[in-house]
Amino acid sequence: MTTARLGRVDLLPMVTRGFFLALIAFVIFGPLANLVLWAFAERWYFPNKLPNEYGLSFWYRVFQPRGNALASLGTSVWIAVLTVLFSLAVAVPAGYALARLRLPWRAGILLLFLLPQAVPNMPVYVNIARVFYTIGLNGTVAGVVLVHAAHGLVLAVWIASAAFAAVDASLEEASRNLGASPWTCFRTVTLPLAAPGLIASAIFVFLESLDEFTGTYFVGVPDVTTLPLLMFNASMGGNYQIASITALLLLVPSIAFMLVVERFLKPEVLAMVGR
Amino acid sequence: MRGNEATRQQRTGLALVSPALGVVALFFILPMLMSVVLAFRGKNGGLTFEHMAKALDLYQNDLLFTVAITVLSTVGIAICAILIASYLTLGGSERTRTALRWLYRWPLFIPFIVTGQVMRTFLAKNGLLNHVLIGGGLIDPGSAQSLLDWRGIVIALVWKQVPFVTLLLAGAMASVDSQHIEAARNLGARRWQVLVDIVLPQVRGTLLVGLVLSFVTMLSVLSVPMMINPNSPTLITVDIAYRINTHGDYAVANALCLLSLLLAAGGAALYLRHAVAKAVPAA
Amino acid sequence: MNRFKLFPALAMAALAALPYGHAQAQTTLNVATAGDQNMVDYVNNYLAPRFEKMNPGVKVRAVGTGPGDAGSQKIYEKLSAQQKAGTTAWDIDVAVIHQRGAATMVGEKLLMPYRSQVNVDKLVTRDTATNALGANVDGYVLPMFHSQIAFAYNPEVVKAPPKSFAELAEWVKKNPKQFGYNGVKGGMSGVGFVMGWVSANAGIGEKLEKGPYDPGQKAAIEKSLGSLKEFNQYVVMTPGNAGTLDMLNRGEIAMGPVWVDMFYTWQADGKLNPKVKLSLPSPGLPGQPMYYVIPAKAANAQLAKKFVELAESPEVQAEGIVKQFNWYPGIDPQHVQSKLDAASWNKLFTDISPSDLARYGRPFPLSEYFTDIVEGYERVVLK
Repeated sequence: MTTARLGRVDLLPMVTRGFFLALIAFVIFGPLANLVLWAFAERWYFPNKLPNEYGLSFWYRVFQPRGNALASLGTSVWIAVLTVLFSLAVAVPAGYALARLRLPWRAGILLLFLLPQAVPNMPVYVNIARVFYTIGLNGTVAGVVLVHAAHGLVLAVWIASAAFAAVDASLEEASRNLGASPWTCFRTVTLPLAAPGLIASAIFVFLESLDEFTGTYFVGVPDVTTLPLLMFNASMGGNYQIASITALLLLVPSIAFMLVVERFLKPEVLAMVGR
Repeated sequence: MRGNEATRQQRTGLALVSPALGVVALFFILPMLMSVVLAFRGKNGGLTFEHMAKALDLYQNDLLFTVAITVLSTVGIAICAILIASYLTLGGSERTRTALRWLYRWPLFIPFIVTGQVMRTFLAKNGLLNHVLIGGGLIDPGSAQSLLDWRGIVIALVWKQVPFVTLLLAGAMASVDSQHIEAARNLGARRWQVLVDIVLPQVRGTLLVGLVLSFVTMLSVLSVPMMINPNSPTLITVDIAYRINTHGDYAVANALCLLSLLLAAGGAALYLRHAVAKAVPAA
Repeated sequence: MNRFKLFPALAMAALAALPYGHAQAQTTLNVATAGDQNMVDYVNNYLAPRFEKMNPGVKVRAVGTGPGDAGSQKIYEKLSAQQKAGTTAWDIDVAVIHQRGAATMVGEKLLMPYRSQVNVDKLVTRDTATNALGANVDGYVLPMFHSQIAFAYNPEVVKAPPKSFAELAEWVKKNPKQFGYNGVKGGMSGVGFVMGWVSANAGIGEKLEKGPYDPGQKAAIEKSLGSLKEFNQYVVMTPGNAGTLDMLNRGEIAMGPVWVDMFYTWQADGKLNPKVKLSLPSPGLPGQPMYYVIPAKAANAQLAKKFVELAESPEVQAEGIVKQFNWYPGIDPQHVQSKLDAASWNKLFTDISPSDLARYGRPFPLSEYFTDIVEGYERVVLK
């Protein structure tokens, strides 16, 4: 199938291309259709293959004034934005060093950033909560941002490092030869050239933060609540309508952020990730 | 002189890395170590391997299952991502490429928990998938079966992770020097030969990184197996949650975490080999 | 992108470190609820407005921590973290938790013995208000509502539901893959079914509930689990408490053990055919209450007690718990029944009669037996 598609694709009639596209569209949108159907299903049970009745009553429930869905959505986005900014602030120097300087244990350092993604994290967040209660960070947005940042940093650092590695070193040398200080050179040459990659990493960090609920619970609740928390509880309890509606709501900032960031995505930067 | 320069670079480098490393160390690695020691602490505070033994005794099947599922999913992700990314790079029809580029990304925005939820209702015996297949006359109603076992977990994980790897891979492929590709094409190479002989070798690193990130992420995902099939055999994250929630047993849970970390280290070792080879950056 | 732009970002992050809602002059009463979203909705929509009206300047904030024991465990973690950190004013004022959570939290001195200080104390006499799986929780808890595990079945497929576990074992052989339950890792309705099975088949039901604990019973327990392994060949394993209802909803199974409160929620949310019914087999299935508790160092303990008083008052139990949500009341039934019209009261017992409920609604086994049974299941049935 691969060879046919890639090898003789021009010879294949449009019908075949259309068929494969339709197949992929079904694979992608089939499950999503399920999500949308549940968001508007008033009643849906056996033996009906589609909802017995559509309506908006669950939307009213999600948006009821006491439910705080919009406020939670606002908090979620605010936390995600802060997480992105904070991650970039620490990932830029780290990425530069990992890309440009001779570091001891370079591979080891890269791997340390991977740890938060690799370990099932509930026991860890329990301990973080204990520490944060001691130092007064619990129940603050800053505390939640720190936890989200630690989790998403691998993406920011690995991609930032790639972005700097992709910058042509001879341009920096030229600037230095013209008498620019290292700082000026970094500010005026390296950083602008690496910026697209840095911004690309932002989308992944943003999405990570917007998905996270375990850390948010232990560090934020009850003072800071986000929409993914509601989504998690509803989904685990089988409240499909509420979970689907919150998931659709979370799509809005995700896609908006993607559209903003997409203009900056450059293939040659992505090519260097993790190198 | 050179030695001095190297030390200076090392020092600057470490200084630049330290804020980011500090965040991960303070807000993840340290609390992680605090909990990992519990896996080896006995009732009277001494060292014990009893929790580890219990973890291995009760959950060895699930450990093997976890390895099988994550490896299988990683392979699935690799195949799908290579197919999509290479069509995006080498495909003939501009319109098809545009449509595909718009299509493949959607699961990126769907959180794992929701992926689990939609797959649970989509892949079920009387779920939407079977309704469509039956309605389209592709299968007869009697042979409709539920995919909510290991297959469902693999499908959900692959569905969710393919866009991430594809995004990285398509970027890497786009930056492969187009002169190489054109030259090969002019010499009469077919598209798949170009893909296998020229493009894939050059993007191997990016593919590996995307797969390692996906692999470790899948090892730590709880919601997908919880939603689709938390019964035996299941992924190790379900057992960890179960030890904590039903038994309040952090010792065995942490032993399982540690075992899960060892699996992740296995995947990361692949990456390490790749990264060490590039230890000295081109600059 | 200029590096200096990152500094405002850091400044913003620092600003955000200020406690949320700092400027609010009013008191916030934090109510953390384990269990399903509808319990959060109940606190938010039913209790909160009433309480706020009675106490001007107070705002009730309800937070859900997730269904099942996992939800209670998360409340436990929060309180335990604050205890270990030496915090003086804890951030949860009232919590709603399960029995196992209550036993642990009382044991670790995380809760306040508040019961004697609220005027609804006398309205509760049931055993589960003082005893949680063998642990003495007397004085620390008051039940919000009782729930019960029962078989939900589709009467179009199952004409006469099995009346006992023995009949069920026969029934599944004649109707393979029509019965589904969620094992022991996917939530308490499955665990409760396993408990019911062991009680019925090991012949030590009384001992399991009343104690004293005797490790020598393990053999009897494992023998009964052996027969469960055989039984499992004829049934479908479902993904979780909600997963059983989910498969009933799509008609993939015809019968399975579910929590009665979840069952009614699913019907009310249009996710279960209104024709689906409940039945309680002999010698019974476990049930348990959800408890209102007040953390030992709750920041607003006085308000918290007033809140529980309101929530346990016969009017609220009648109107909110029974009439609106169709839950079995937490306080003794006679106080509630008198506040309700007969129709609303009888609706509670549409499928399961009060006498069946009294006879076949059992407590969960003692904590030690509970562990033996669940781990026995893992060794005998799963391995």
